[in-house]
Amino acid sequence: MIEAIQFASFSEFLDMGGYGFNVWSVYGLFTVFVAANLISPVMKRKRIVRDLKRRAVVNEQQSN
Amino acid sequence: MNWTWFHKLGSPKWFYELTSKWLPWLIGAMVIFLAVGVVWALLYIPPDYQQSYTTRILVIHVAVAGTSLAFFPLMAVAGTITLVWRMKLADMVAKNAAPLGAWFSFITLATGSLWGSVMWGTWWEWSDARLVSMLFQFFLLVGVVALRSALEDNDTAARACALLSIVGCINVVIIKYSVEWWNVLHQPSSPLSMSGESANGPEFWVPTVVMIVAVYLFFAVSLILATRNEILQRERKAAWVQELVSKA
Repeated sequence: MIEAIQFASFSEFLDMGGYGFNVWSVYGLFTVFVAANLISPVMKRKRIVRDLKRRAVVNEQQSN
Repeated sequence: MNWTWFHKLGSPKWFYELTSKWLPWLIGAMVIFLAVGVVWALLYIPPDYQQSYTTRILVIHVAVAGTSLAFFPLMAVAGTITLVWRMKLADMVAKNAAPLGAWFSFITLATGSLWGSVMWGTWWEWSDARLVSMLFQFFLLVGVVALRSALEDNDTAARACALLSIVGCINVVIIKYSVEWWNVLHQPSSPLSMSGESANGPEFWVPTVVMIVAVYLFFAVSLILATRNEILQRERKAAWVQELVSKA
């Protein structure tokens, strides 16, 4: 099932049998797609928590 | 029958706590499957006698395309729950699924184009029903996102999006069977074979299955993270959220 690594050199690996542009574009796009949809909710969570904390402080000051 | 679990499921707090326990495992499994899938696909799949190394594109394309079909059914189920039981959590999931689904559809189209441009000799074919129905799914999902942001009232937006999601499921059926009903460029799905006698031997489909699992895990992790943000925002006045924030 797993045969040997298909490439003898790194330049062959980059070339992908002449289809390097297409293959690497797909893997590049896929990486951006996965990273963006994981990083963006994590960043948003930080913003939300920061915002809610600030509100809590304001509320406390008002009630004092 | 005891329905407690069903009402618990609708509680944002319960969902938040449950996913706090699940997330580390889901993220761990996602990282492992993604790494194994990508490395296996890029390094080990032997070149196809007709397609050379472009089958590496299909590993990604098939996984993302297959998962993209899950969005409308998921949003339709969540929408039905919203319409019938007014469960807040279901609408939070549906709301955050739509933009992610648009991403999935777009990546399906882009990776398909990058394969088609060299293997079919064309980036796009308007007469191919599979391509056009997938493009339609992308527009429908962008439409759901736009509809949500256009309607100010939360309840109205939730109901309108729920209806559109249920209707959108018809298109999923068309996407699925388009390759059998009309045969233009896009091939039907290929049968799997352990012996390697059919089109796909295990050296191709095993890494593809690994990637499908990886992409489904990624879909779950991303949607759960987004839904948890939605919970924090909509339940910001709840005592448990304020307590959680004060500890963060």
